[in-house]
Amino acid sequence: MNTPLYILIQLAAALLLAPLVNGVIKKVKAFSQKRQGPPLQQMYLDLYKLLQKDTVVSETASWVYHFAPYLNFVTALLAFLFFPVTFFQQTISFGGDIILAVYLLGLGRFFMALGGLDTGSTFGGMGASREMMISALIEPALLVSLLTLGLMSGSTSVESIMSVNLQGSPLSTNPFALLILIALFIILLAETARIPVDDPSTHLELTMVHEAMLLEYSGRHLALMEYAAVIKQLLFITILANFFFPLEPALASPLPALLLGLIVYVLKVLIIAVLVAVTEISTVKLRFFSIPNLAAISFVLSFLGFMQFFIIGR
Amino acid sequence: MESFLELLSISLLIAAFGLTATKRIRSYISVFQLQSLLLAAATMAIGIYNLQAEGVMDILFLAVVIFILKGLVIPRLLRNTYTKVEYTVEKDFFINIPSAIMISAALVILTYFTIHSLNGSLSAQTKFYLVNALSVVLIGLFFMISRKKAIGQIVGFLVLENGLFATALFSANGMPVIVDLGILVDLLTAVMIMGMLVFRINETFDSINVDRLKNLRG
Repeated sequence: MNTPLYILIQLAAALLLAPLVNGVIKKVKAFSQKRQGPPLQQMYLDLYKLLQKDTVVSETASWVYHFAPYLNFVTALLAFLFFPVTFFQQTISFGGDIILAVYLLGLGRFFMALGGLDTGSTFGGMGASREMMISALIEPALLVSLLTLGLMSGSTSVESIMSVNLQGSPLSTNPFALLILIALFIILLAETARIPVDDPSTHLELTMVHEAMLLEYSGRHLALMEYAAVIKQLLFITILANFFFPLEPALASPLPALLLGLIVYVLKVLIIAVLVAVTEISTVKLRFFSIPNLAAISFVLSFLGFMQFFIIGR
Repeated sequence: MESFLELLSISLLIAAFGLTATKRIRSYISVFQLQSLLLAAATMAIGIYNLQAEGVMDILFLAVVIFILKGLVIPRLLRNTYTKVEYTVEKDFFINIPSAIMISAALVILTYFTIHSLNGSLSAQTKFYLVNALSVVLIGLFFMISRKKAIGQIVGFLVLENGLFATALFSANGMPVIVDLGILVDLLTAVMIMGMLVFRINETFDSINVDRLKNLRG
């Protein structure tokens, strides 16, 4: 009955909070280098500026180039709707919706790669092929982690996972969830193009993967692609925050409980964002052909979590 | 407390995998140090529990000894050896890293099936501890045979001993304390002697790549 309200809250959280998380990560990285860094609202200003500029389109581009930013943005936002930010909302849920969310993100990534190839520039092609290799290596780990979380709660829908977590964080009832947590953290770094996998602030062709696909976009197309990337980042941070650290404020009446839940969610997201920034500060970007090592670790940890579930699953 | 111990035993397995995934000698020594500190924490937890339950302090004493010996002294000895030896950047392993990680996962599965087919009456929790600890033993052994540099082989031996100690600790509250202390002192002696040998190998061959020992043939 309150579903439209919850969907609005979810959309507002995605659109308003996602650029702030990016700003926080950049600020922490700047502080570690003894710089001031851009202000926290910089990304909002950037997006606003980009939306007003003209787009410059290559002559060899086809409908894929024009379609890709819109599709990327819409699939990222739709996938975010499946993961409620507090425990009181049920926006959209049915059995198997985790798998649908993962493959919606995959659809967005596919069109992003095609859009990069479409302009005929070499950077786009190179970025697209690198992105496809990284995502092919990371996808088994992501699916095995999410399916193990689903097995621990009895169904593959996000709502059932979160309702089981209300009885206690998986880390305390099933300690092998630590394996899944670390695997999901590595996947977060890989999917959001953070330092061990890809440098988000570089423009040298030796090191760019995500930036290479975005290089030919300008104006509102670029705004939509950047927005989609930060919403995807907020999605993965939400998975870590809500599946492993469920803190539900126990208040009686629904409206104050909802507000308190939102505040707790924002705090959790900011703490995890600082953790991501600290990881970025303390490691170096891997050589591209060393990324299979990282992906293998992530896959093996999630597979061992799956196996340990059968030894001692509760 | 039970879930804390389970978390620690999982962290031991994660540290063993972290060992397989690294390429640099300084990182192996740091990961081994982290694993020893986790083991000391687990021993201390069981020691405190034993102290409250039965009033004996032997496991607590063992925890302190492990923390000092394996957490501080042995990594320092290894790092001293490493800095005195000439390090050339060359391929350090016989099997490349993703294959080594997959083989370690296969070793964990092998341990699981072995323990599962035992006929005794083990509770599910003891089986869980045993799978984690015995996998650390097998992964340490695999690490020992898959690295070409001598220091990698020493670290593999130490991880194997970590795993054996963890097996005894989680399933039976430790071996008799005298046996544990004897093993630890032997380990310290072994590391000192191995360190001296590595230094000698380096002096003779100008590298600690054990592949080059084949030059001993006529």
